[in-house]
Amino acid sequence: MATTTLFQFPPTYNFPPFFTPQPNTNTRQAQLQKWSSLIQAWCRHHRQYRLSLVEAVDSPLFHNAALRKRLDLREARDVIDWMVKSEEEGGGGRRAEWIDSSSSGSQGPKSVAWIWWRRPEEWADVLVDWVEGTGQKGAVLTVYELVQGEATVSQEFHGMDNDVMLKALSVLAKRGKAHVFGSEGQEGVKFF
Amino acid sequence: MFFKSLDLTTALRPLLLPDETLLFVQDAVGLYEGKYKIPDYQNGHAYLTSHRVCYIAAEDPRKFSVAIDLKEIDRAEYQVSTVFENMKAGFLKSSPKITIYPKPQKSKTDKSRSATSSPAVPSSSTLHPGKPLSPLPPSIAPQPSPSPKPINATWICPICSFSNPVPSNFDPATATATTNLPPCLACGIKPPLTTVLKAAINAAASRESPLPRPSSLPACEHTSSTTSNQSASGSVSCPRCTFVNHPSLIECEMCGTSLIVAASSAGNGNLHVESPAPSFEQSRIPNTEVSETIKLSFRAGGEKTFHERLKGALVQRKWLLQNAPPVPPPSQSSTTSAPSTATLKSPQPAAPRPTAVGIAGLEQRGLEARMNNQLVIGNAFEDLEALMASAKQIVALAETLARESGMSSEGSAETHAVLSESVAALGMVTTKDMLSSGSENLYLSELARNLAEYLTDDRKGVLQREGGIMSLIDLWAVFNRSRNGVELISPSDFQRAAELWEKLKLPVRLRRFKSGLLVVQRYDWSDDKTVRQLQDWMEELRQVPPDEPVPWDWTVFGRAVTAQETAQRFMWSVGVAVEELEMAEDRGALCREEGIEGLRFWSNRFTDSLAV
Repeated sequence: MATTTLFQFPPTYNFPPFFTPQPNTNTRQAQLQKWSSLIQAWCRHHRQYRLSLVEAVDSPLFHNAALRKRLDLREARDVIDWMVKSEEEGGGGRRAEWIDSSSSGSQGPKSVAWIWWRRPEEWADVLVDWVEGTGQKGAVLTVYELVQGEATVSQEFHGMDNDVMLKALSVLAKRGKAHVFGSEGQEGVKFF
Repeated sequence: MFFKSLDLTTALRPLLLPDETLLFVQDAVGLYEGKYKIPDYQNGHAYLTSHRVCYIAAEDPRKFSVAIDLKEIDRAEYQVSTVFENMKAGFLKSSPKITIYPKPQKSKTDKSRSATSSPAVPSSSTLHPGKPLSPLPPSIAPQPSPSPKPINATWICPICSFSNPVPSNFDPATATATTNLPPCLACGIKPPLTTVLKAAINAAASRESPLPRPSSLPACEHTSSTTSNQSASGSVSCPRCTFVNHPSLIECEMCGTSLIVAASSAGNGNLHVESPAPSFEQSRIPNTEVSETIKLSFRAGGEKTFHERLKGALVQRKWLLQNAPPVPPPSQSSTTSAPSTATLKSPQPAAPRPTAVGIAGLEQRGLEARMNNQLVIGNAFEDLEALMASAKQIVALAETLARESGMSSEGSAETHAVLSESVAALGMVTTKDMLSSGSENLYLSELARNLAEYLTDDRKGVLQREGGIMSLIDLWAVFNRSRNGVELISPSDFQRAAELWEKLKLPVRLRRFKSGLLVVQRYDWSDDKTVRQLQDWMEELRQVPPDEPVPWDWTVFGRAVTAQETAQRFMWSVGVAVEELEMAEDRGALCREEGIEGLRFWSNRFTDSLAV
């Protein structure tokens, strides 16, 4: 997760009203859209798949020290809520997904979320491209190999969160392009 | 008497002259000339002022509005016509009417007489005494001929005092000393030119003066043409002694009664039998001469008060003050106050003031002023009549005193200035007193017009000073204060009047912000304009580098504004500024920033393409 380059914030980040929920619906939509892309860009830059809001509100993502402005937890939740909704519902196109509090510790509901800077379906496409590009159709690989193996170092999904990888693989399985087997923690996958 | 054209205010009320005051207003009034209705002048407001009677039609008021100067009115009669009293005036029921009789046009005669009594050669303008002073429309203008040819005058021989006729070809306009004059018929001595000249002009002038000048000039033409032709087509019988006179005579040979009246009134009667319509075209009513009576028909009551006040105004003759330059205060209404008021302001401009210089002079002037003030106050409180009459001065005095004692320092200076200047508005305010009781709607609509005038008056510029927009409550306060505590308006009346603006098509509008705040603004002012103003301002701010370094890119985002700044910039009240900013935000032009410093507004960079 360590990054060498500094994250380049968009200009809106330095726009003071960015940190105030806008009452006008159109403006609010635009504002949320900008927040959504900022969060996605931030997570992509940091190779972060899940975002813990409690931690994030103190990070530069939600706290602009120069402006002395911040998005508090509740407002950050509103932003993620918006991202969770599909575009048809007037949301941000499922670019986030809440992680059940039961599986993510005792931080209460809506404290950790997946940030889909790539949705599982998109990851699945990336995997298929890689498999086809490297001629590994029909090969059997472990999930560990996919995520941590030397062969995938150049790939975007290298070092990916295991859960995200499994989600992407299950998408592939549904499409009939892969078969996931094995017990938890030792899953293997066969690509067709 | 003339129908004068009338200037209207923005609120479609008569524009008052200086010192003119509004006395009474009545709606649903129709105009009659003689016995006949004047088309298009049948439903309107009648305004009685101290100088005029004005009629303004409810429909198309700019086109159909006329005024009659009170100075040209001889008297006014009040008549309630019923079926039994007067079959002609109405069939089953007729509205009560006030009949206005014009004055004989004496003033013109006087003028021409005094002008020509000097032995100097008369100027050409005075040589047309028959021509009315006010312009007449072409339809009326065709008088027999512009030069006073048809004069059947007599000159008295200075030698034998025989009355000789002035020759019919004698034209005072062209006559000179070399003009050949016929000698006296009795003694044969040639008269001096001035004698004949005077006689001719006097005759021409007196021919104008007889009272009921036929509305139909044709009738007049008839008599004059017969006289000039000397054709004995019709001899005139004297109305008093019935002696049948030669048509060229202006006075009865027997008893000396003027025959012109008889002849012209006869013609007059004939005319109306022939054409029972008003004798002038309705489109030309303004500037039309009226010789017959004018009737105001009151279809919705109010005639009694109107008549009363009209009579009062005719007695007071306030118009006499109009031409007097060193303003003797305009209160002649009560005799008790008249001498005192004359001493206000400039103490007796006529009386030469004893010249004193230096401190003594200043002291003396101060003493005089104090004495005057004492007189004014003393007289004003003597009785209520006097108080009403000198209200204007008392108010002016009170204001001066207030200013001197520094009371004006409190409160918004601008609003106060508006207030102190608005005393002039006193003359224009409609009070309930001016309207007959029960006419609530009329009161409200008059109040609405009143307010509109008050707001749009450029001299006071109430609305302008408040940045073109003003909350209704502020307006209510300022307006009521401008009435100096007299005839205050209740808030509910005020709001109802304000709601009438739109219906009456007045140039101001009442607007409700989404928070429920009611404001007053010009009718042509729109949200778009406000938004544009705000955006222009934001753009302006973006060009100016901030005083202190700011963490954001000011070339892109500019800077934030607060409601206070906005209020200051556009001269709005803060409440209005907040509403306008929120309106602009609502339209997506602005966005907000809430912080510990409070609410600030930015140009909206979320929705536009500049900031990605």
